[in-house]
Amino acid sequence: MKPLLVVFLISLFAFQASAQKKYTISGYVKDKATGENSVGASVYIKELLKGTTSNTYGFYSITIEEGEYTLVVSYIGFKEIEQKVVLNKNIRLNYEIEADVIETDEFKVIGEREDQNTNEAVMSTVELDVEKVKALPAIFGEIDILKTIQLLPGVQSAGEGNSGFYVRGGGPDQNLILLDGATIYNASHLFGFFSVFNADAIKDVKLIKGGMPAEYGGRLSSVLDITMNDGDMKKVKVDGGIGIISSRLTVQGPIKKDTASFIVSARRTYIGDLAQPFISDSSKFKGSNYYFYYLNAKFNYIISDKDRLFLSGYFGRDVFTFRNADDGFGMDTPWGNSIVSLRWNHLFNDKLFLNTSVIFTKYQFEVGLEQDQFEFKLFSGITDWNAKLDFNYLPSILHNVKFGANYIFHKFVPSNASAKSGDVDFNTGDIIINYANDIALYASDDWDINEKLKIHAGLRYSLFQHIGPFKRYNNDEFGHPKDTTVYDKGETVKLYQGLEPRFTMRYTLNDNSSLKASYTQNYQYIHLASFASVSLPTDVWVPSSDKVKPQFSTQYAAGYFRNFKNNKFETSVEVYYKTMENQVEYSDGALPEDNAGNNVDNSFTFGKGWSYGLELFLKKKYGKVNGWIGYALSWAEKNFEELNNGNNFYTRYDRRHDASIVLTYDISKRLTLGATWVYATGNALTLPVSRYVVQGQIVNEYGERNWFRMDAFHRMDLSLTLKGKETKKFKSSWNFSIYNVYNRKNPYFIYFANEGDPSNGSLDVQAKQVSLFGIIPSVAWNFSF
Amino acid sequence: MNKFNFYPFLLLLLVFTSCEKDIDIELKTTEEKIVVEGVIEQGIPPYVILTKTVGFFAPTDLQSYQNSFIKGAVVTVSDGITTVQLDEFIVDGFTVYSTLNPAIFGQVGRVYNLEIQAEGKILTSTTTIPTPIPMDNYWYKDQPGFSNFGYLWFNLNDPPGLGNAYRIFTQRKGKDARFIPAFGSVFDDKFFDGLDFDAFIFRGQEPNSTAPDDNNETSEYFQQGDTVIVKFCTIDLPHFNFWETFETAAFNDSNPFAAPTTIRTNIEGGGVGVWGGYGVTYDTLVLVD
Repeated sequence: MKPLLVVFLISLFAFQASAQKKYTISGYVKDKATGENSVGASVYIKELLKGTTSNTYGFYSITIEEGEYTLVVSYIGFKEIEQKVVLNKNIRLNYEIEADVIETDEFKVIGEREDQNTNEAVMSTVELDVEKVKALPAIFGEIDILKTIQLLPGVQSAGEGNSGFYVRGGGPDQNLILLDGATIYNASHLFGFFSVFNADAIKDVKLIKGGMPAEYGGRLSSVLDITMNDGDMKKVKVDGGIGIISSRLTVQGPIKKDTASFIVSARRTYIGDLAQPFISDSSKFKGSNYYFYYLNAKFNYIISDKDRLFLSGYFGRDVFTFRNADDGFGMDTPWGNSIVSLRWNHLFNDKLFLNTSVIFTKYQFEVGLEQDQFEFKLFSGITDWNAKLDFNYLPSILHNVKFGANYIFHKFVPSNASAKSGDVDFNTGDIIINYANDIALYASDDWDINEKLKIHAGLRYSLFQHIGPFKRYNNDEFGHPKDTTVYDKGETVKLYQGLEPRFTMRYTLNDNSSLKASYTQNYQYIHLASFASVSLPTDVWVPSSDKVKPQFSTQYAAGYFRNFKNNKFETSVEVYYKTMENQVEYSDGALPEDNAGNNVDNSFTFGKGWSYGLELFLKKKYGKVNGWIGYALSWAEKNFEELNNGNNFYTRYDRRHDASIVLTYDISKRLTLGATWVYATGNALTLPVSRYVVQGQIVNEYGERNWFRMDAFHRMDLSLTLKGKETKKFKSSWNFSIYNVYNRKNPYFIYFANEGDPSNGSLDVQAKQVSLFGIIPSVAWNFSF
Repeated sequence: MNKFNFYPFLLLLLVFTSCEKDIDIELKTTEEKIVVEGVIEQGIPPYVILTKTVGFFAPTDLQSYQNSFIKGAVVTVSDGITTVQLDEFIVDGFTVYSTLNPAIFGQVGRVYNLEIQAEGKILTSTTTIPTPIPMDNYWYKDQPGFSNFGYLWFNLNDPPGLGNAYRIFTQRKGKDARFIPAFGSVFDDKFFDGLDFDAFIFRGQEPNSTAPDDNNETSEYFQQGDTVIVKFCTIDLPHFNFWETFETAAFNDSNPFAAPTTIRTNIEGGGVGVWGGYGVTYDTLVLVD
């Protein structure tokens, strides 16, 4: 801890050391066709083989000694710009880069130090090219960013067709998913089959699996940072798609050319609606339906060369209604996310950039049940009010300093119920709400120490204060509430705080290879608890409290990075070891109904987890054929004193082997082939080992937690994208996908069928393995004008 | 009501795309545990049935079932003053431990300790017979859309103070061979402490019943005209915890999405099962809407 602080301080104050005359070149990089900011474009000085990349808002700044230089701006898929500059004063240069339409296996030799894979002090991080994702096969033709993320080494899918993911042995709650800076608590629609993100409205996707920079916090395992398109600054554009289960439409355009623009994107599924005609009026299920819809909207306004405003909104709802006339049963479950974020970019000078964000996030889940005179309602949710200041200071070409502050006021409604019978309201307890102040301060520097060594050193301070009003139920030895402790409004229930050091270094071995290592510590003040073996929207988010200590992780990672053939191929080998403290699970014998009229965290038990592994990655970035091959060898274990007799157990998503191949091939200008193949070790399950009878009823006894392994999962998908004849005004394409080409019966779950009668000895128990999706062809038509 | 479960709907959704096949699973071998089924009610002798857990895929014929019964155990029941060793009886070929000594017949308000010495192990447990709390009223009502079928309704006035728990059994005269626990047979007063409220009883059935009226769309209802004896019991909380988790486990055992439910036994010393005291009231009703 101490040596790290020293390095950090040195890096912060090192700028004072040199005193030669320096000037700054700064500006924005944009896409010429749309006026969209280019995130992560490389801007470098050819003579020095040094440079920078544009930030999330397209801004770059380079400060170097006066002189004559050649400035190069490059970005994958765009034409490179080279410009001679005479630097004898601070200059502002905005660049508009043009798409490179010639796609051949020929590629340009680009600056050798430009390559981010080997050169940056960043590891365990992957950026996805959204355009390439669109050419990949997708189940039902529904393109899904989260499912593409699962094809990366170190990222595990939560199950067949599921958009939930697990990173390096961490839980599903340990991923920070950001949409334009706003936290998304539940990124999936019903049962996890579809994610909430619409690829048409997304500009950039970045996944950080380890070595998390200091500007991110609040989660242990990963950051998925998604940036929405800003909206075309040049002309009005409409994109849309019609698929077999949903349709989507995106409209964008300038409000004032090159100054203000908007984008609105919507999607709605209709599988439930399509089923409606088949439910006859006399059917007992009349009135049942399921659909989801969402709306993304963003507006941005360039006030001046120094100020820019962004207003983004997201609103998504899943609506599931179920009716069964037979027993007068009805159920309604609306749930979803709502987000509004307002951001303001301000340039103080050509070295200091500030982004101020004000964000409102709301996630809610509700189940309403009715049967005869009974009504039952279960609801949970999270509301956040969030304010952030993020500074980016670029004092010299050797430093990229970031610092900032974040304040979030959380309102958690972990799980509450109301019930009544006729006019009598049942006492399901007061509605328990947890309020908390969540504060973070951070600073970091990317520092080119010398030709060989570059570091990212950062420190994050976080504080979490659980405040009243709050009611703590004190349970008796049988787990029933005995009495309560009441905290008044504003009273501190519990306060946690901690320092989170973040450190990554790169050591260059030669022109095309480097070694990297990282060490990070993270705190997480929210916890997700689930009764089910799959993640569902019914899972409850619970904040740290007087009962639940914050999750805490330490991760060590090291890697060897090497590029071949002038950066055409990028490869890496990474190893990691991660420990996680204060993990939560429900206690043995806890039931969902225990949560009502009690604190959810009263049914928790606590333990720790650890994971380690090796990840191989080979990526081809240019040419007619591109894509990647990933492989991960990993272990993920947990230990809870009160579970599994205190013995270690593998987590459900412990995967010894996880491999994927992802390819796209441009057969011709109009035809693109996409292919993916995945292989994963089977899920670990707890299955019964014995059985017994009490009062005639048979029940099972379970063995060690997750002792059983299902068969391995593997699957191949193919897609063909055929572009229609392009006119100036109208473009269209057909996307044909085949999911599970060789119709592999992958295990989804196992159950046991009891047939016969135990009293006459004819009972027969048979294990049955259920597979979810066989071969599924699908087609979608996409257009834009 | 607490039997609400999300997953059946997911299953419904998957019906169209999924497919299944039989697989063979090699189970781990584990040690046998003693299963205790012990009951004590006011006014009648206590009885204890001792069996052993059997391998999940073990044969389930009558012979194997009989073999799982433990004979020759030393079973004693004590109310703190009187301690009685239970005798071994053979009923229909099955071993049951009980006694004809009225000194240990159940009495309301007493605490009963159970000790079992069997298979080289000593198991102990404690239960109480709480004061019976009678129902205020019962009635029958046709379910909308059905004629002659409906739930059995009741009105209960729960005494103030948390910690009351209940278990309901019913027996239809001429139809059921014994008192059958209602579907979701236990509830406690966590949600309605001190309230006067109405609720209804889902008719329970024999496990794996093949009776026609247990396998049609009215299987959860009672039929108008039935004569039903309701056995309404008050039980203590550890006893309640057992049945609540036991019934959830039995319900979830066929649900692959639910995490396995751990059954909260009140048997100490490494056994499973329950030693349960019941404070009982009986009511006989003829069901008329």
